[in-house]
Amino acid sequence: MNRSLVILIGALALGAAIFAGSFFTARHTTMICCEQPADDLNWLRLEFHLSDTEMAHLREMHEGYLPQCGELCQKIAEAKRALAAIQTGATNLTSEIQAKQNELAALRAQCQSNMVAHFVAVSQAMPPEQGQRYLAEMKRLTLGTNELMEQSMSGDTGHEHHH
Amino acid sequence: MTAEDNKLQELLRKNHPTPALPPQFQQNVWRRIEGAKVPANPASWLDAIAELILRPRFAVAAAGILLLAGISAGMLEGRQLVRNDAQMNYLASVVPHALR
Repeated sequence: MNRSLVILIGALALGAAIFAGSFFTARHTTMICCEQPADDLNWLRLEFHLSDTEMAHLREMHEGYLPQCGELCQKIAEAKRALAAIQTGATNLTSEIQAKQNELAALRAQCQSNMVAHFVAVSQAMPPEQGQRYLAEMKRLTLGTNELMEQSMSGDTGHEHHH
Repeated sequence: MTAEDNKLQELLRKNHPTPALPPQFQQNVWRRIEGAKVPANPASWLDAIAELILRPRFAVAAAGILLLAGISAGMLEGRQLVRNDAQMNYLASVVPHALR
């Protein structure tokens, strides 16, 4: 093989190795250095640059929200168990099953409503610009998936077609 | 300048013969100029690149740039991964399992 070609290929391989080595080492080191103690609210501090006072207020709100959320989740779990029990062996959609499904749906709606209310309350406790960004991000992360599914099911892509 | 100097100069000029040009000197000069204008073939480009790579200054500079680029990209990626992990932790704490 041509000597110059060997040199070129060797240099490219060495360059790739230098880049990859430094990339993975730096990534690993950064992940170890930046890793925070397990704190659920750490993302708020990192992403929205909140002060200690703001974080303390948000932590209080977060801790107030969790028991309500847990209580509803408990009710949802019970309703699901009850629905599964009456569905066992059933071949028709009885009024009892329908009533349980409606109850479950209502509980889920309430749970979602509480969650969105919490997001709104948290966003209002942040500086306005950060709060808007937080709310938009949380809606995208939590409700966005449902919206995408609904759009795909209804065939509404959000684009108007002019014929 | 004296008359003797003039004579000496005249004598020197006569004794300093101008060599005769070799046959077809001018044509040969033009041929060489034309030859130099011919574009280099790919092999010579490869040789030029290889020669450049082997220069210590170039090699050290290129390695340094690659090292810095790798470190910067790695740090950015690492920060993004830490942020993503933190975001997932937060979401897991506020979004009920029933809604996921």
